[in-house]
Amino acid sequence: MSFRQKLLLIFALTVFLCVVVISASVWSTMQRSFERANDARADAVAAQFRSEFQRRGDEVVRKVEAAAASESMQRIALEVNRGATDSGGYVSEARNLAGQQHLDFLELVDHQGTILSSAQWQAKFGYPEPAIPSTIGSAGVFLKREELPNGSTLGLFGVRAAGVGEQPLYVIGGERLDQGFLSTLDIPAGTRVLLYQNLDANWNPKSLLDLNGAAAGADKIAPLVEQVRRSGQEARSVIRWTADSADAESFHAMPLTGPNQQLMGVLLVGSSRRPLVELQRQIVSATMLVGGAGILVAVLASLWFAARITRPVVSLAEAARRVAAGDLYAKVYVESSDELGELASAFNRMTEDLLQQSERTLQAERVAAWRELARRLAHELKNPLFPLQVTVENLIRAKERAPEMFEEVFREGTSTLLAEVNNLKTIIGRFSEFARMPQPHRKPTQPNEVVRSVLRVFQAQLKEKNQISARTELESELPVISADPELLHRALSNLIANAIDALPQGGEIIVQTKSFGNRVELSVSDTGSGLTQEECSRLFTPYYTTKQHGTGLGLAIVQSVVSDHGGKISVESTKEKGTTFRMELPREA
Amino acid sequence: MRRIAFLFLAAASLLDVALGATRPRYGGTLRVMLQSAPNSLELLADGTPVDYWDAARILAMLADNLVEIDGAGHAQPALALTWQSDLNGKRWQFTLRRGVKFHDGSAASAAAIAQILGERHSDWTVRGAGDSLTIESDSPMSSLLAELALPRNTILKRTANALPVGTGAFRVTDFQSGKLLKLAANEESWAGRPFVDAVEVELGRSQRDQAIALELGKTDLIEVSPQATAANGTQRVRTSLSVELMALVFPANSKAQDVRVREALSFAIDRKPIQSVLLKGAGEPTASILPNWMTGYSRVFPAQANLQRAKVVLTDSRQPALTLSYDPRDPQAQLIAERIALNAREIGITLQVLLSGIADVSLIRIVLPSSDPATSLREAARELGLQQPLIHGSSVDDLYQAERTLLDGHTVIPLFHLPVASAAGARVRNWQPGPTGNWNLSDVWLEADSR
Repeated sequence: MSFRQKLLLIFALTVFLCVVVISASVWSTMQRSFERANDARADAVAAQFRSEFQRRGDEVVRKVEAAAASESMQRIALEVNRGATDSGGYVSEARNLAGQQHLDFLELVDHQGTILSSAQWQAKFGYPEPAIPSTIGSAGVFLKREELPNGSTLGLFGVRAAGVGEQPLYVIGGERLDQGFLSTLDIPAGTRVLLYQNLDANWNPKSLLDLNGAAAGADKIAPLVEQVRRSGQEARSVIRWTADSADAESFHAMPLTGPNQQLMGVLLVGSSRRPLVELQRQIVSATMLVGGAGILVAVLASLWFAARITRPVVSLAEAARRVAAGDLYAKVYVESSDELGELASAFNRMTEDLLQQSERTLQAERVAAWRELARRLAHELKNPLFPLQVTVENLIRAKERAPEMFEEVFREGTSTLLAEVNNLKTIIGRFSEFARMPQPHRKPTQPNEVVRSVLRVFQAQLKEKNQISARTELESELPVISADPELLHRALSNLIANAIDALPQGGEIIVQTKSFGNRVELSVSDTGSGLTQEECSRLFTPYYTTKQHGTGLGLAIVQSVVSDHGGKISVESTKEKGTTFRMELPREA
Repeated sequence: MRRIAFLFLAAASLLDVALGATRPRYGGTLRVMLQSAPNSLELLADGTPVDYWDAARILAMLADNLVEIDGAGHAQPALALTWQSDLNGKRWQFTLRRGVKFHDGSAASAAAIAQILGERHSDWTVRGAGDSLTIESDSPMSSLLAELALPRNTILKRTANALPVGTGAFRVTDFQSGKLLKLAANEESWAGRPFVDAVEVELGRSQRDQAIALELGKTDLIEVSPQATAANGTQRVRTSLSVELMALVFPANSKAQDVRVREALSFAIDRKPIQSVLLKGAGEPTASILPNWMTGYSRVFPAQANLQRAKVVLTDSRQPALTLSYDPRDPQAQLIAERIALNAREIGITLQVLLSGIADVSLIRIVLPSSDPATSLREAARELGLQQPLIHGSSVDDLYQAERTLLDGHTVIPLFHLPVASAAGARVRNWQPGPTGNWNLSDVWLEADSR
């Protein structure tokens, strides 16, 4: 990953995290605000229901009072006080009174708590009314479970005494607390009211009513109702009807208790969360849009900024690569005056210094090379010149001092002169050959064949030196390479000749070939006395030799051949153990 | 007991005659209102008790039976003057009244009557020759006279449009199905011409409409509920002896298969408050099929509620939730059913009251059609879905044993014996309704200035 990419990534991540943190903060704040608003709304609805409940209760009480004060009730109370015990005449009275007062329930109960007449269950005359002892004197309304012929239900009741005679006659009247009651409540839009009639010992889904009767999805509301049933306290919960959170409802469950504080029912005020959720979604969408746009802008800005910051660095890196490749003329152009500008200036100064130093080194090397060449030439030419000089002086001396022997000396002298001249020609030929090193003519070449060919050439020489043995370790599946077999032959011959020279006391020469990747390696090892580190480092310098009569051009020629083939040559040597030369050549040019 | 009741009613009738009658007068149209609205003038197989009484009263005006049974359960001559049977009761011979004619002028001969009865009873062999009518059967017919006195054995023919043609005091002049029936006096009635010229029967009128019409003087004779005992100066209410039975019946497929549940329920029902409040004192709480006036032993069957015993009986028994249906045409039935459900709840039996339909137990009301107890017991057993009783003799003990056997399984819980009641307007004179609910309108005459 480049510096620019890293920089871009850091910038983008920083901006993204900032956006996420800000969004999360906004979301959290908004969520809390919404929940508070929703709770406040549910509280308002609950308060409205309580008010409505109270109003309806007052209405029930007024109706019961009217029934108790009615003429027929006064008449019945009078008759009862006079000792009338037969309920037969009153069976329909409660129903008539209930009809007049538009009450669902109405019972006439004597002072002993016995029902004289019942509107809701006419056949119930003569049975005791259990609510009477606890509700006598109750000024307001109370909830009561009312038994009916086909089950039981919940009602909102009031009780009043008919004020005639010593034995009071009570009127207990009420309205059914069911879906009909719920439908008459004035509740705000977006809310609904459910009623759980706590008529059974256990949860009964059929007792959960809405405006249309048994409420759907009762099982999801059951835990909330159960919580109220257990604790007797108000409770809240959010009911999710579907996977869509907009379909959820916030429910505020309120216990409805009877005269003895027993739980008679649970009122559930539900308000849809859709408006809040949709508002939330709008805000979230806007936040996401702004956040996304911010991130996009941030990324673009990061791109520009990273490019601006990294441009000098990239230039510097490019220049460094060029310098590494040997181009000491590479320059970095940085206009800024900051740290990067200083770095670029320092780099430029460094390359200038390197260039100057390189030129000085090159010049010194050239001088050294010329000196070495001169020394080598002087050395090489001095050796044959000395016999020439001696031979010519012997001839002159023989001519002057022993003319009789001049003839014999002349024959011997000319023979020597010719030998030394030939020697000079050989030396000059080697220098000439190095100077005229040809360019390789590549063709598919099997290195193993080259190895075998060279060894065949040296076979006779090796036989003469019985103490030297040659061994090959050639890879059988060695690939064919693109190379000049003649030059390769010459290079390998030089290496084997050097190995033979390195084994004056005998030893072993090992020639190996192997392939790795797209390269082929040819190595020649000897078990000679080895080379020093310093010798190894100078081996490939032209005209450097460690031998008495070497020209110092053999390994220079080998290096030249290997270099012309795009390969490289290396040497490993251990003192007293031997030396190995390795030529690595590419399979393709 | 029967005799006492009969004498009481007869005395009441005589008192009425003495108070109301001055001198009989011919003429006028007697206006009658009935609740039922029949499409044909015959007894309905699945009718209510009201349908039965209305049809029986109409047929009684149009036709006669061979014999009649008085309130004491004794046979009285009608179309047949005398009768005798062989020792085992398998062959009966009747001597018929001479000169009796149907409304169409044809003679009510022994052969004609034999044909009518023979068609109705395939198990009888009926022969008529001269004045003599013979009825034979393979089995003894100890209650044949009571059977012949039933409304279903009224001697009548049918016209092409199914109108009845009998020998009674009145003949049909117009019948508008379910609405109106007009009758005219039969000038050639063997019992003598009735005092009124015609009878106009309005059909399908509710008891409330009838009461209002009677109050306004727009009708002369109506049906009232036995509870409506109030009478003012222009009305006279006549209540019969108990001729109906209200009972709970458990069908064969009822969930109350455990006899202990049925027995416990019979102990749980407190009949007295129902009788005093819902029936407004009419009727008698009972645990027997036949009323006490008919048998004299009804009170041997305990009708008092006994919750403690009911709970003991229910111990260790499974108490299924049961349904209780009632006949919606019966105005008192719903409240009574609900009261019974309340009583049952006290011992832990759940009875859900249904308007009608198939239920585990049904509240029904049946007619006890004859003052002959054996005949009424057989008819009741048939209506209640019980096996026909085996009455081995004619003694009260035989009757009791037969009835006890019928009730042993508690598949029927008798609740109340109920009377029927009627009311007449002020201009109706010499109205002497029978103790078992018949009206006897042939002797009624009308005050001239009442219309």
